[in-house]
Amino acid sequence: MRNLINKLAPRSPWIYRLNAGSCNGCDVEMATAALIPRYDVERIGCKYCGSPRHADIVLISGPLTVRVRDKVLRVFDEIPHPKVTVGVGVCPVSGGCFRDGYSTGAPTDHYIPLDVIVPGCPPRPQAIIEGIVKALDVWRVRLTEATCCRS
Amino acid sequence: MSNILEATFAILIFPGGAFALALGLFLKGMDRKVLARLQRRVGPPLIQPLLDVLKLTTKETLIPTTANELAFRLAPVLGLTGVLVTAAVMPVGGVWSGVSGLGDILVLLYLLPIPAMALMLAGSASSSPYGALGFSREMAIMFAYEMPLIASFLAVAVRVGGAGGSLFSLDAIMAYQFANGPLLLDPVMMPAALALLIFIPGTMGSGLFDIPEAEPEVIEGPLLEYSGPLLATFNLMSAVKLVVVLELAVALLWPNGLGGNVLVNLAWHVFKCLALLMVSVTCFRAATGRLRLDQGFAFFVKYTSPLALMSLGLAYILR
Ligand code: SF4
Repeated sequence: MRNLINKLAPRSPWIYRLNAGSCNGCDVEMATAALIPRYDVERIGCKYCGSPRHADIVLISGPLTVRVRDKVLRVFDEIPHPKVTVGVGVCPVSGGCFRDGYSTGAPTDHYIPLDVIVPGCPPRPQAIIEGIVKALDVWRVRLTEATCCRS
Repeated sequence: MSNILEATFAILIFPGGAFALALGLFLKGMDRKVLARLQRRVGPPLIQPLLDVLKLTTKETLIPTTANELAFRLAPVLGLTGVLVTAAVMPVGGVWSGVSGLGDILVLLYLLPIPAMALMLAGSASSSPYGALGFSREMAIMFAYEMPLIASFLAVAVRVGGAGGSLFSLDAIMAYQFANGPLLLDPVMMPAALALLIFIPGTMGSGLFDIPEAEPEVIEGPLLEYSGPLLATFNLMSAVKLVVVLELAVALLWPNGLGGNVLVNLAWHVFKCLALLMVSVTCFRAATGRLRLDQGFAFFVKYTSPLALMSLGLAYILR
């Protein structure tokens, strides 16, 4: 029974967008992927939700500026396990064009381990959707092994 | 003794319980699928609501430290129990006429607000400002939609009672329609039917009336702080609530079966619920945006209530 549910669960990913100080470019692309019927993320069962407590997959964009760091980490902790993180854009990995800026310290992946990375500045909506699909595989493994991505 | 057995069966298996849960999840799936097709999308699979519920059972339950834990945990359970009992009272035309002594539309008037109450309890127990906002919105909109509901109940009761006064028993309402044709085709009852049709999206919070759980403003309102199995319970509650309000409209206005075969009648009943869902929820949701709270309130007071009251007046004069 448990196994069956674990197999079926990743067919219903609920997605939460977490803006860690991004320039809004990535966020617009995520909103495009979510809202335009053409890309239809509901096909793979996705639903964008407003509350972190409902989320399964977190899309993180932006370089994690000093100002929002604590808030982002707090919101991240509110997401129930098991969760999967997807870094959208180059910012979460390297800081992108904000690298070495006075307002950004270390990029997002120093604080939050990213399971999937979607490169681009900003990435195309198709790439974001592909990132979500890859995250489903990570989630499947996480469910069977009962591991967490951050304790 | 047999009455108790019958009631248990009704609550756990046939019109309530397993049947209502399955029908509710199916209707929710159809709603999402057809909405997607209307927007020229592929849409989620038909079993998506079931998958959502199963997924939520694997998640962790988080409870805010400032929340009242008992009320927070109790609210979804109360809501689900309430709607399951309500579903058990609903008659299915030509298949099941309700447990004797249980079915009465006055009882339904008490049972129908339970899910809204559960949401209010959830919103206020969660100690989140958005939850409190959702709570107050839910309450305001409930005051607005109860009025046309009560008026159309009374209209049906007076119409069925005829010269002998009014009749509140669901059995009598069904028997009247089996003898004299569905009330839906009765010109006197048409305004009340329209009012009930608007009541359905109103109580489900879809389309124009997505006010208490409005995602862009109050982020799901009362459900904001819920996660895991408790949220799954709320999802099930909303699915069964959908069944209950659709079955209510069917029972009041169009309960007639298709001849004597039980299975045919059951399929016909499901079809009627589905047709009503498509008209009142899915197409309505696809075609409309959303109202502000005051506009939504005014909509029910200005347009929906007079429709139902008109039927009531006509039924009273013409009896
Ligand atoms: S990756 Fe590019 S578009 Fe995305 S937030 Fe960073 S700078 Fe903006």
